Amino acid sequence: MDTQTNETEFAARMKSAIEPARGLDNRELRNAFTARLKQVAARPDVVPIEFDGQRIEMRRGGTLLGAAMKNGVRLMHVCGARTLCATCRVVVESGEDNLTPMRGTEKFSLRWHLSVSPRTRLACQARVNGPVEVESVFPLCGELPNG
Amino acid sequence: MKVLDRFPTSETDLVARLKAGDEEAAHEFFDRYAARIRRFIANSLGTASAEAEDVLQETFIALADALPFFRGDSSLFTFACAIAHRKVLSLIRTNARRASLMRTAPVAEIVTQRETGTNREFNRALGEIRPEYREVLILKYVEEIQVSEIARILRIGEHAVESRLARARKALRKSLKE
Repeated sequence: MDTQTNETEFAARMKSAIEPARGLDNRELRNAFTARLKQVAARPDVVPIEFDGQRIEMRRGGTLLGAAMKNGVRLMHVCGARTLCATCRVVVESGEDNLTPMRGTEKFSLRWHLSVSPRTRLACQARVNGPVEVESVFPLCGELPNG
Repeated sequence: MKVLDRFPTSETDLVARLKAGDEEAAHEFFDRYAARIRRFIANSLGTASAEAEDVLQETFIALADALPFFRGDSSLFTFACAIAHRKVLSLIRTNARRASLMRTAPVAEIVTQRETGTNREFNRALGEIRPEYREVLILKYVEEIQVSEIARILRIGEHAVESRLARARKALRKSLKE
């Protein structure tokens, strides 16, 4: 038997064994989804953030590092935003709930650099959902002795 | 008649309305995809339906949060499956005990009611293989998703999908003792 026939036969067997997806009657979930969607849509697309005392505006969902670079705040990021160097780490002064939750790679990096605290985040990983105020840990690139 | 034929709205239009928070669009999206997403979750988990319901709920909430960032470079169902896949993975990772149960729990009682002898045997075999194998088989043969789209969902390369599929088929055949 050739490979194509094998594939077709396999697909037919899988399909006959698995129950077809019938309509899901879960009004509670449908309403919760609709309400959340409305809530998300009502949020403004641009959010104000404060970076080392400098007020900038950024697109919701973008990273802190991206926003900083776009607005001329030369935040250090030696590894190229790959969570390795933690030179982009910032201390969140206010609005930590407006940042996306910390993921495993970010936690690992901060732990590796002995910087785990609920208020310390990697600017390359933290995405912004609302107003937030942060202070960079390392000096900004322009502020280094050699520029 | 195919399920999708009941929904005349094009996907691009539906996405735009979803992003605007349109209630009807949300209902349409739910009616169009919820059952398939639930089936994907239940099959990927291969465990008690209560857990599948929890993951489904989490998936839909995360989906509502993530929709503004959907760029339209995959289908909406692929996007939803990618979120569901990560929710399933998260459940597996955070609960080692459940993970060990998953490898042994039969999926038959969740995914099929057509209890013919062959189907029962097939479902038993499907329940015995590794969850990642089960997941890729479901995506390819039940949901009929292209390999490139499966690669997006699982966040692996297309070649990795092909080889995982080959290993999954082999594991299923072995489990069926063919």
